Formats: sequence, C-alpha cells, structure tokens
Amino acid sequence: MSKYPTVSTVEVGDELPVMHKSASEAELFLYSAASFNPHRIHYDRAYANYEGHEDIVVHGPLQGSWLTQFITDWAGPEARLLSVEWQNRASAFVAEELEFSGVVTSIDRQSGSVELEIQERKHDGSLLMPAKATVRLAES
Amino acid sequence: MSSSLIPPESLARVGEVLSEPVTVRIDRREAQRYAYAVGDVNPIYFDVDLAHAAGYRSLTVPPLFITHALVRPEPAQKLRPDGLYEDSTTVTLKVSRMMFGGEEWDFLEPVCVGDEITGTTRLADLDQKDGKKGPFVRLVRETTFTNQDGQIVARSRQIGIAR
Repeated sequence: MSKYPTVSTVEVGDELPVMHKSASEAELFLYSAASFNPHRIHYDRAYANYEGHEDIVVHGPLQGSWLTQFITDWAGPEARLLSVEWQNRASAFVAEELEFSGVVTSIDRQSGSVELEIQERKHDGSLLMPAKATVRLAES
Repeated sequence: MSSSLIPPESLARVGEVLSEPVTVRIDRREAQRYAYAVGDVNPIYFDVDLAHAAGYRSLTVPPLFITHALVRPEPAQKLRPDGLYEDSTTVTLKVSRMMFGGEEWDFLEPVCVGDEITGTTRLADLDQKDGKKGPFVRLVRETTFTNQDGQIVARSRQIGIAR
C-alpha cells in the first residue's frame, strides 16, 4: 500500500503530518543567493533593525516554497499541485521555530482533487501565514 | 475619504505589461540549488528515473522556482542602498514601505528541466483600502508562464502591501 494518500483513501479531516522549519543565517543567505535576491533585510541585521525589523527577516517566497514542500511531501510524487495561495500576515525571523499544519477540507473523488487548509505558525502559536491549496492525488 | 496614496499616473498603468517577456531555459543545476536552499529535496527534482516513474517527461523543479529562474541578471551599479535593484517597473506610490503580502498560484502543466519558459508580468490590480493601521495600497502583479509549446504552465499573482 502506498505511503501516500490516494483518491480512495483520503478523508475530509485528514491532517497533514506537522512540519517544522527554521532557517539559520547561512540558510537565509543561501536562499538569497539561489533566488538572486540581494535585499539587505535578509542578511544584514543592522540594516534589518534600521528598517524596523527585530531581526534578519525570513523571505516571504522561501516560506511559500516551504508551503509547497509541506503539501508535496504529504501528497507524494504522483500527485499534482494544482493551486496554492497564501498570505504573509507577519514577519518570521532568523532561527525562529516555525510550524506548518494542515487539514483536508473537501474531496472531489471524480477528479481526484482535494482542497487543503494550511497554517504556518510561530512557536507562540501566532499565525504567520494562512494558506489554501488544491492537489490532485494519485488514483491508487 | 483619506487622500490618495495612488497617483493618477500609476492608476492609469493597471493592465500594463510591467516588463518585456523574458524567456529562460530551465536549468537542472539552478533548480537543484534552489531545492537545496529551500530544504525541499524531493527525489523528483534529483533522480530522473523517479521523475519518469511519477509521470514527468524529465526532472521536474520546485513549483515556485520558475519565478526565480526568470530573474534578469543586473549589474551591481543598479543596487540601491537597501540592496534591491533600481527597477523601472516600480509603480510609483505615495508610501514609505512595500511589504510582501502573499501569492496565488495556478499550476496548469508540468515544468521540467530543459523547458523554455517565458514569463510576462502585468500590473493586474492596484487599489487603496482602509485598514486598522490606516490606509494601504494593495498591488497585484500577475505573471503568466508559457512553455516552448505555447502552453500556459502557470500563473502567479504576487500581492504587495504598501503603506
């Protein structure tokens, strides 16, 4: 049996396995380099403070890519991500412990697509990023 | 009504193409570097046999990588004090700060290593709203990504919040 959910096994209310993320200074720098983004708030603490941030800021799109990873790790390689949307409500900072959680909210067994509601939260439980996604799961 | 943060000449740009289309070949090394930088080491980005087994023509890439694949190389002389590049596509607003508000994506066709992806970005929406902390501007940049066969592979709407 597949270790991934399928159109026939998935149920509304299924929870995605919780994923933890945290980025060190070096990891944030690596993301700046890989995404060709020289914005100083992502590697220069003094400059981030000068712009009013309490510390080095985690890139919004990096959290977006963590979100897609959270979904595709659950759905498996044969599934297809059809859509995703998220809002960045607050800033995440270097070395902060972040947690992704999500749940299946609806299923269309005909097309195999399921809708998910996802949250990224800080350690204190405050909401950083509410998100929604649609994934087409493997048939079996 | 509070005074407008959006000058009329900026409002007139809604619908406008913000930058000329860019075409880029999706590069395996760049995509894998991005996957490692995110910490998303999905085997379908690294092992072509597993990518085939999962139904892809070739290695596929992290879903949001295409945005970064299309970033134009710019000379260092164009760096501003904040580290961002001077950008002729910036929409002029009477605000002090632009924040990343989120994104909305539709994925219509797979993107694989070797594909030629063209991105075209328009100013899709620009409007002023009243929030708890005062008025702010919501700016939406919509990018359409097409492949070498003319198929639309993805659409992204990037939301900026300015105040």
